[in-house]
Amino acid sequence: MAGGALYPLDQIVRAEPDWAGAWRQRLALKCASAAVRLAGRSEDEAGLRDAWLLRKPGDDPGPAGQILSAWKRLGSRSTALDAEALQVTAGMLGIKWDEPLATLAQTFDDLGLSGSAAPFAAAAIIRETHTIRPDAEALGWWLADLLLAQKLRWPVPVPLLMSQRFSSVFRADGGRGRIRPGEEGFDRAICLALVHAATEAGRLAAEIARRAERLTFVTPKLRAKGAEDGLRLLLTEDAVSGSLQTPNLSRFASRRLFERLQQLEAVRELSGRPTFRIYGL
Amino acid sequence: MAKRARQIVIDKELLHLTQEERHRRWAARVEAVIFASSEPVTRKVLERVVGEDCDIDAIIEEIREALGGRPYELVEVAGGWQHRTRPEFADVIHASGAANAPPAELTDHQALVLMTIGYFQPVTRAEISKIFGREVSRDTIATLRQLGFLASGPRSPTPGAPYTYITTPAFLTAFGFDTLRDLPDTEMLEDAGLLSRTLPVDDFVEPELEDDED
Repeated sequence: MAGGALYPLDQIVRAEPDWAGAWRQRLALKCASAAVRLAGRSEDEAGLRDAWLLRKPGDDPGPAGQILSAWKRLGSRSTALDAEALQVTAGMLGIKWDEPLATLAQTFDDLGLSGSAAPFAAAAIIRETHTIRPDAEALGWWLADLLLAQKLRWPVPVPLLMSQRFSSVFRADGGRGRIRPGEEGFDRAICLALVHAATEAGRLAAEIARRAERLTFVTPKLRAKGAEDGLRLLLTEDAVSGSLQTPNLSRFASRRLFERLQQLEAVRELSGRPTFRIYGL
Repeated sequence: MAKRARQIVIDKELLHLTQEERHRRWAARVEAVIFASSEPVTRKVLERVVGEDCDIDAIIEEIREALGGRPYELVEVAGGWQHRTRPEFADVIHASGAANAPPAELTDHQALVLMTIGYFQPVTRAEISKIFGREVSRDTIATLRQLGFLASGPRSPTPGAPYTYITTPAFLTAFGFDTLRDLPDTEMLEDAGLLSRTLPVDDFVEPELEDDED
């Protein structure tokens, strides 16, 4: 069942359309907002976007923004993993690093080479992480998506599973709370979660594809110099600050560019504010 | 430190010695490095002075055991190790006046502001003022910044685009936390009604900015 649901995603990943970056990054945002909730923080997707876009390049985006950066990295890196990458990710997720966690790199490789099916391997790595350190659960979910991509031979992972962490598939029968990693039925729940996540990701892909097409359609109507910078970012990022500054594009020019694109209905304003506007597909 | 470490070449492996002798030397090096550093020393740093097959954890354990009866100990903090006096001597040390500025001399107010930022980060000065119900001065923030406990986060999407403030790793070290999750339990405080994550609503009128306060 999970295999069937993954097929359309597989098609998208293999075709690697030019909007795949925007798609992955938006999925990363969804996963990050679940991870932020798991960490007991209150930022929502809009808050995360703000934290990410309204800082100076290189500045620390704060604890929630760091969690987002872990997921953004997942959606833009290869599927290989070493202990150092693992430690960096743990740091971003605000998880205290210790030696037992380092063994996860080995577990990850073993599971990657084992014959078990992708969803079960993903469930296994979450379970293993939860066994080592219950408070490091978020790292397990991060690894699960990485492992999934490796199993399916995707060049770049797609952030999927974490977004389902709080969905109803993990609700135990008879209203007895949630199925935790390691409890009976977790594997089955992960399969279901994967189906849900894949369906949502497919729907999102269709939507983004449509918008990207619209963007390509209106591109010849744009006259701004350096418009390519803005357009490229729109296709590779979840969102772009309305006062984007690049060597070819001043913040006034980009403001006009985005307003024009909005008129042409090629981008949406995502923050809903009249100031500090944030645009995206 | 990293730069200097690259210039000086030391014999890490100590292959000419017996296994036992090597281990003893490595243990001494590890302890010396941790003792000399004012900040927690990470595993990576220690790996620069010991050989490939050195078991750092075993050495740390040995040092800890050796310090068993001493008034100071080796603690794991902020992803590294550091020598610290045992907590029960805090009063004695304070009374002696010898080292009365443990991380820094913070006034109660400054400490309170710092902890507020710890819980609510990223948060702007105006929001902190809202939580306190009175203006928190720029000076307070500036002092905390100078001590290295605070850094600028993303700008807040409110009029004036003020910077938000976030805590730095130095804050974690100074107060003995490993990660922000170690802050005294938020959920517990929330259940006890002592803390609410949602910022107070906008019924607070921004006070006239005073020029010099504190």
